Amino acid sequence: MNELRATVAIVRRHIDRRFAWDFVAHAVLVGAIAFFFARLLTAWWTPLAVASALGAAMAGERSLARSLRRLTFFAMPLYGRQLARAHAVAPSLMALSVPLGYAAGAALRGAPLSPALLLATVLAALVATLVSLSSVFRDGARAALYVALAATLGAAVTVAPFALEDSVARASELAIALAAIAGFFALRAFGETLARYDPIA
Amino acid sequence: MIVLRAVEAGFSRDDLTVETFSFTLRAGESVCVVQPNARAASTAARMCAAIVKPSTGTIFVGEYETRLQPPEAKRRVGFVDAAGFEGDDHAFRCEVAFRADVWNLDPSAAQERARGVLATLGGGAYERAIALALVADVAAVVLDRPAPGVLERLRGLVPLAGIAHTRAAPVPALPEPALLLPAAR
Repeated sequence: MNELRATVAIVRRHIDRRFAWDFVAHAVLVGAIAFFFARLLTAWWTPLAVASALGAAMAGERSLARSLRRLTFFAMPLYGRQLARAHAVAPSLMALSVPLGYAAGAALRGAPLSPALLLATVLAALVATLVSLSSVFRDGARAALYVALAATLGAAVTVAPFALEDSVARASELAIALAAIAGFFALRAFGETLARYDPIA
Repeated sequence: MIVLRAVEAGFSRDDLTVETFSFTLRAGESVCVVQPNARAASTAARMCAAIVKPSTGTIFVGEYETRLQPPEAKRRVGFVDAAGFEGDDHAFRCEVAFRADVWNLDPSAAQERARGVLATLGGGAYERAIALALVADVAAVVLDRPAPGVLERLRGLVPLAGIAHTRAAPVPALPEPALLLPAAR
């Protein structure tokens, strides 16, 4: 079994013309929020909170859940962790629409994000997305709790380093390290969830 | 050669119970798993195809246990869902290409094989699902509640594969207690 070929096939399956439209629509919407509500969004951690909340919400969206629960994916000869890695690529790419849109909106308003803050915003969106993916195979309150956990964790691993560390470079390194650890465990948890999930009729 | 074996396999969840079943399926043979309702029959089919893990008992595809080595088991089974494949011709070709990538097959050979199956079986939704299941070279085919006549046509296509299929049949009502009593003298 060529795992890379299978992964690419699954990623291509998720990334279609609709994906591109959704990416642009999300970026424009977030850019508009950053542009028009700039006076309200003055705190330095605002983009981190926005990216984290929207990243978690997009990955926990029910249409994504329906798509990933399709029987065709479960009939494929792959382990849960392999399927999880392949499934995580498209939502992670989609999550990038939030920091990119926010950065563009803020720049148009005349208050561009610093490179360190832009990096942290990207990390917040990615961590929130990866944690939130585990909500896809849950329903009701448990799914909502996972989305809330994802939004909180995405913000926490990026806000904390910048709040506690004076040096921007050190804070950025710490944020990358924390995001890598959180992302790794989130992806692992998603793989476990996928492996345990039974698509009963 | 044994291609599929179920040993006291069952599934139980709050709102769903799959009656325990056991069978041994050899290459070229067919077996039918009967369940009391459609949902249980579909779940039983998915269990045989390593998609759903049995909550009791074990299922082996060849030498691989479906709970412990699902990818190896799935690689050897073609699964046909009762809903069939509803997409149009383009969607079907895309699905074949997708499966060829995932199963690491030659894309043009996979398309050719799928077309051959459709030419023999016909182009309905269920037949399309069979064609997709047979894109890879499988030792067993698991069909969820096939229509009458499908099995015979499928046997002609895969004479050496084991074919397991499910059927939903209501459990016959027990006779009235009075009828079980010995006749009065």
